[in-house]
Amino acid sequence: MALISTEDVSRLFGSVCAVDRVSVELNEGESVGLIGPNGAGKTTLLSLLTGSLKPTRGKITMDGIDVTMLPVFARVTAGIARAAQIPQTFNRLTVRENVLLPAYFGAQLSQHDAGVWVDEVLEMTDLFDRAGQQAASLGLLDRKRLELAKAVASKPRVLLLDEVAAGLTEPEIASIKEVVKRLQPGRVIIWVEHIPFALQGVCSRLLVMDKGAKLLDGPFDEVWASDVLQSTYMGM
Amino acid sequence: MIRTIEIVALVLGAIIAWLAAAYVDSGLQFLLCEVFLLFIMAQMWNLLAGYAGQVSFGQQMFVGLGAYGLCLMANNTGIPVWGVIVIVPVIVGLLSIPLGMVVFHLKHAYFAIGMWVAAEVVFQFVVKTPALGGSGGIVLRPGGEMMQGFPEQTVLPVSLFLSMALIVGLRVFLRSKLGLATLAVRDNEAAAEAAGVNIWRLHMILFTLTGAGTALAAALYYTTTLFVTPLDAFGAKWVVLMMFIVVVGGLGTLTGPVVGLALFIGIRELMTAAGYSGGQYWIVMGLLSTGVLLFLPQGLWPAFSNYVQSLRGKASS
Ligand SMILES: Nc1ncnc2c1ncn2[C@@H]1O[C@H](COP(=O)(O)OP(=O)(O)OP(=O)(O)O)[C@@H](O)[C@H]1O
Ligand SMILES: [Mg+2]
Repeated sequence: MALISTEDVSRLFGSVCAVDRVSVELNEGESVGLIGPNGAGKTTLLSLLTGSLKPTRGKITMDGIDVTMLPVFARVTAGIARAAQIPQTFNRLTVRENVLLPAYFGAQLSQHDAGVWVDEVLEMTDLFDRAGQQAASLGLLDRKRLELAKAVASKPRVLLLDEVAAGLTEPEIASIKEVVKRLQPGRVIIWVEHIPFALQGVCSRLLVMDKGAKLLDGPFDEVWASDVLQSTYMGM
Repeated sequence: MIRTIEIVALVLGAIIAWLAAAYVDSGLQFLLCEVFLLFIMAQMWNLLAGYAGQVSFGQQMFVGLGAYGLCLMANNTGIPVWGVIVIVPVIVGLLSIPLGMVVFHLKHAYFAIGMWVAAEVVFQFVVKTPALGGSGGIVLRPGGEMMQGFPEQTVLPVSLFLSMALIVGLRVFLRSKLGLATLAVRDNEAAAEAAGVNIWRLHMILFTLTGAGTALAAALYYTTTLFVTPLDAFGAKWVVLMMFIVVVGGLGTLTGPVVGLALFIGIRELMTAAGYSGGQYWIVMGLLSTGVLLFLPQGLWPAFSNYVQSLRGKASS
C-alpha cells in the first residue's frame, strides 16, 4: 500500500485552479523531485498534503486512511512535515529551541529524548555551532538549514521540501543533498526545486506540474530527457 | 524545573508579604493592594495578548465576573470569604471554556472586538437583572453580615505574595514544553502549528487560565472595596489599564508590565498629589502611550534592554 497518496485533488483560488485533479501515489523509501514553472501549483500541492490548505475536491490518504480533514498539527504527529519555501522560523527563540518544538510536539518525544534527538538533527544540518544563537540573527543559508532541521525534527515519514536549495551556491547545495540522502531510508521525500542539479542523484522519480495539472511522472532520467519537458518547462 | 533563585524569590516574597501586613499603614495598604492586583491582571492580559497573540478588549468581563462571583457566593452561602475567593476563579475558568469555543471562531481584531461585545452583553445582563442588584450593584455581606475587620490587611500580603509567585510561575511555565509552544506562537502561530502544536488547545488553556487569574485578582480587589457596581466592575477602564501597563512597558515580556505599572501608579499619584483632579492623569497616560507606540513600538523595557545590549556590544568590540 502507498504510504501517501492523493486522489484527484484540486484546489481553486477564486477562478484560478492552482492544483487541477492531481493523483499521485508514493511508497516508503521513495524520493520524488517535483518541478514545474512558476505558479505551476507545486507549493499549493504541498500545502494540501500538510493540511495548511484544504482541497476544493479530492482525497488524501496516508496508509490507506483518509486524512483530508485532519488539521495541520495532527498531520504532523501522523508524520507529514514540510520545510517551507520561505523559512518559517521562530525569530526570538534560539536555533535549538526552534528545533526542540517539533521534537516535543511533532515527534512527541519526552524532554530527555528530545534533547538527544535535537543534538543529532543540529549535527546533521550543520547547525550545532549555532545552537544558542537567536534565529533572527541567521543568514539565508542557516535559515534554510533551520527550516529543514525543524521539519526533520518532527520525525516525519513524509518529508516535503519546498525549494530548500534555492539561492544557495553549488557547494552549499551539495551539502544539503548529503543531508537529504541520509534522510531517505524509510521515508517518502517530495522535493520541489527549480535547479535540476539539486535533485539529480537524490530523486529516482520526477514529477512535472504545469498550470496545476500533473504533466509527467516517471523515472528521473526518462522524464528529464522527454521532449514534453524540454518544450514546456524549459521553454525550448 | 524550579531554580534555586526562584525558590529564594518565593521565600523573600513570603517574608516581605508578612512584613507588609504588619508594618505598612492602612492608607498605603489600599494603594499597594491595587498595585499588586493590577499587576496580576496586566500580566494575565500580557500572557493572553503578548504571548498567545490573542488581543482582547473584553477582559473587564472577568473582573466583573470575579467581583460578582465573590459577592453573590459570599452573601448567599455559608462559605467564608477566603474560600469564595478560591472557588470563584475556578468557576470563572470553567465558564470561559464555552465562551472560548464561541469567540475562538473570531480571529485577530474580530476576536478583540468579539470579547468586548461579550463583556458588554454580560454587563447589560447584570444591569437588567434585579436579583443581581441591577445598576445599583451589591454590597459584600458575607452570610448576610457586614464584613468584619480590615480585609486589606490580609489582601495585601496575599496579593503581594501572589504577584511574586506569578512571576516565578510564569518563568517556570515558559521553560516547560507548553511554555516553549507559547513562545513559538508569539513569534509565528502558523509555524508552531506546522511543528505539531495544537494551537486551539493551547489558546483554550491560556484563555481559561488568564480568565481565572483575572477573576481571582478582581475577587481580592473587591474584598477591600466591600461593594460592587456593574459600571465599575465591568468598566472598560480595567482593560484599558491592562493594555496601558503591558503595551507601554513591553508586550510579550515578563518585566515590561512592571515598568508600565510603575509609570502608571507613579504618574497618577504624583498628579493627584499635585492637585490635578479626577481623571486628568489619563491625558498624560494617553500622550505617553501614543508617544511610546510611535517611537518605541515594542515598549519601554525591550527598548531599554536592547539599548543596554548595544552599549555592551560596543564596549566589547
Ligand atoms: N493563497 C493564495 N491565494 C490566491 N492564489 C494563490 C494562493 N496561493 C497560490 N496561488 C496561486 O496559485 C497558483 C499556484 O501557486 P503556487 O505557489 O502553488 O506555485 P508554485 O509552483 O509553487 O510556484 P513557484 O515556483 O513560484 O514557487 C499561482 O497562480 C498562484 O498565484
Ligand atoms: Mg512554490
